[in-house]
Amino acid sequence: MKDLGELTTHCIRCGFCLESCPTFTETASELESPRGRIYLVRSAVEGKLRWQEDVREHLDRCLGCRACETACPSGVEYGSILEMARHRIDTERPPIAKRLLLKSLTSPGALRMSLKLGSLLPGKRIPDAVSHLISGHSAEVNRPIPQQLAPYTTLDEADMPPVRGEVFLLEGCAMRVLFPRVHQATRILLRRVGFAVREAKQGCCGSMDIHNGNVDEGVRLARDLVSSMAGDLPVVVNSAGCGSTMRHYGDLFDGGAAFGDRVTDISEFLLENGLAGALQYSLGLPIAATYHDACHLAHAQKVWQAPRDLIRSIPQLRFEEMAEADTCCGSAGIYNVTQPELARALLERKWRNVEATGAAVVATGNPGCHAWIAQAAEEHGRAVRVFHTAELLEASFRGELPA
Amino acid sequence: MSSGQGALTAELEKLLGPEAVLSGPAAERAYDCDAYTVDRSKPSAVVLPRSTDQVAAVVRWCNSRNVPYTARGAGTGLSGGALPALGGVVISTKRLNRILEIDVANQCLLAQSGAVNRKLSEVVRPYGLHFAPDPSSQTVSTLGGNIAENAGGPHTLKYGVTVQHILGVTMVEPSGEIIQLGGRVPGGPGYDFVGLVVGGEGTLGVVTEAWVKLVPIPSAVMTALVSFSTVRQATQSVADIIATGTIPAALELMDRGILNAVSQAFKINYAPGTEALLLIECDSDHSHEAMSRVEAEMAEVREVCERNGAIDIRIAADDAERAQLWTARKKGVGAMGRIAPSIVTHDGVIPRSKLPEMLDFVYQVAKEHQVGVANLFHAGDGNLHPCFYFDDRDPAQVHAVVEAGERIIRRCIELGGSVTGEHGIGVEKIDLMSLMFSIEDLRLQADAKRVFNDGDLCNPCKVLPNQKSCVEHKKRWRGTAW
Repeated sequence: MKDLGELTTHCIRCGFCLESCPTFTETASELESPRGRIYLVRSAVEGKLRWQEDVREHLDRCLGCRACETACPSGVEYGSILEMARHRIDTERPPIAKRLLLKSLTSPGALRMSLKLGSLLPGKRIPDAVSHLISGHSAEVNRPIPQQLAPYTTLDEADMPPVRGEVFLLEGCAMRVLFPRVHQATRILLRRVGFAVREAKQGCCGSMDIHNGNVDEGVRLARDLVSSMAGDLPVVVNSAGCGSTMRHYGDLFDGGAAFGDRVTDISEFLLENGLAGALQYSLGLPIAATYHDACHLAHAQKVWQAPRDLIRSIPQLRFEEMAEADTCCGSAGIYNVTQPELARALLERKWRNVEATGAAVVATGNPGCHAWIAQAAEEHGRAVRVFHTAELLEASFRGELPA
Repeated sequence: MSSGQGALTAELEKLLGPEAVLSGPAAERAYDCDAYTVDRSKPSAVVLPRSTDQVAAVVRWCNSRNVPYTARGAGTGLSGGALPALGGVVISTKRLNRILEIDVANQCLLAQSGAVNRKLSEVVRPYGLHFAPDPSSQTVSTLGGNIAENAGGPHTLKYGVTVQHILGVTMVEPSGEIIQLGGRVPGGPGYDFVGLVVGGEGTLGVVTEAWVKLVPIPSAVMTALVSFSTVRQATQSVADIIATGTIPAALELMDRGILNAVSQAFKINYAPGTEALLLIECDSDHSHEAMSRVEAEMAEVREVCERNGAIDIRIAADDAERAQLWTARKKGVGAMGRIAPSIVTHDGVIPRSKLPEMLDFVYQVAKEHQVGVANLFHAGDGNLHPCFYFDDRDPAQVHAVVEAGERIIRRCIELGGSVTGEHGIGVEKIDLMSLMFSIEDLRLQADAKRVFNDGDLCNPCKVLPNQKSCVEHKKRWRGTAW
């Protein structure tokens, strides 16, 4: 296991991270900057600051987007520092409301149930009483509404390449409930490049808990997931937050590293296995599209190019790069529930950048960003639609966007 | 927090609103130093004003309560210029970050002092212009900080340092008055007060806005990475290139120590057996035959390097490769955290002809004091940056680093150089000023300071030694690393 104090000593306080940090650029406070937070954690480790009274609030306000890791010349492992410090703080004083929220999200059964119950409530958002309990503020995020399945016609096996291998597909907790169409598209695209999905009875990957300092519960879920996908097949993931954690299981428990090496993002896997070529013969989409980098795909997994290369391969599509494409949208796991004000400010900033491209479609590779940016689209009059990259790619074969 | 301090914070909150004031143990910690981490001193509060008027209100309030104050931009300074040496209020310019006016026809722009250096260039790139001063911190450091320290950067060899690019400033004087010095048009008559404020290290007032000069982006550029098997061959090449009369746009040296960190961080490839690299850029903004001018210049540089035994010369193939080389150079010091927990980047200047013997001396001093040293610096203008790396949790190492640094600066002066090229005096080199200046010189400087600042509240204990109450306080902050 890594040592928290030792990790913080790699920061030499050059400050090169500052402008990469969305919460610093929003607040202008170094307490809400990577350099500041690392210094606070180091000081607390050395007994010069108090974890709960002095440090906690500033770590709570961190998105965990890890853009600072991309900016850092010294390779400071900020993500690990954050997770370990949160774990320490939350173990000392468990945040009950946050734990319950995590619990309701990371079990598909519980999530379905709470969505059903929620739909009986008036208004679109979480009731104020609940939101105040978690964040001290009124809610900004709408209660999620699960996606409709697409009426995709079955593939004509005669047109498909022969099956050359199998993969596991992470179904995830929130993804399978909220975005079933993304899984549909993912499975079809895998088949288009000659891969079949080996079915596995699986649960949550633990990422939500681990990112939020609830490491013990996260590791329990992670171990279960590893045993449900035994063997050496690639593990394809279409949710950036999950993929980033799964790649680094080795940091959390013995035997995690070998599993981590099998993990691949859907965009990388499809690109490596020739989907760009297949897309050339697809019907295409006569639209302008842009792409939002999920933080846990770009900064945590260093995947910037693969999704863009695939989207650019869609015939007739005009790709428009947006400004600050890899700046966090504010969704950040449960951040838009726990820190509604900053999350809202970042969403509006993201939206301005989306609108400035003139694109009709935004693609992204993570369910949190997907739902949050789609909420902005709805609030701003639905001129722009949001899709997972896989949905957009499959739409090119169908010649039309899902309804 | 003492109740007295609580009352001060409450008054500041009343002045600016509660969301513009940070206080308490975490804020005191986060703002107790800049990127010079050897010396630390806590502020009582940090304020984040949004306008020049708010800055003036804070300064007047500090005067009325006899509270010291120190302006801070991104806190990337390397001499402790933003250290609140006597405590008091840190005035952060980070909410003063707007570009107010772009005047393309007259090639200048007006920005608030918290705007990031790189932003200034980004907003005018569509017009083929840029803000030339390019300190390594330019992706984060602010215009105000660049003005305070008269920041340089690799390309200042050809284009000049910050002072050559500031046309005018709006400043809150230590009295609390808001004044304008200079303006949109360069070269007004009378005494050059802008020139005094730039490089004044924030001791003459708080600059809140500035008119900056913009220059055309070069129309032709060539960048070479040249490997040498000894540091001496590299330093000799620098001295020889300058002697030919050719002025490259940038002429940077990186030694083995820095390459270890940089090659890990940025995947820079260089020939086996390399002990020193020169990063050399030639450019031209002539509209006519720019590329052939650049090629001729580079041929001359090449010839000198080969004569000095260069083992490999690579020319960047395209803009992407050039950008990668510059990222490695500019973030090189930042990458030193891979090697040790702390660094102090020293800054001294020597005549370029003395580079070979000076570098030998740097290595010898580091060896004698048993501290690690890496060098990457603006060789073309003789501006050294020995970067000591160490563990600041060990007081003996901190002490050794300070001593080694002082020896190097003394030698710079002996060789006819200066105690600082671009990082400023701050608190780091306050004791070294008297090595370079006589009592009379220092008295003259103190007189110049009094034109704007005749009190001791505005960024105290910087630049000039032996200021009131600084000597006794210095014991408190010196070496209080962690």
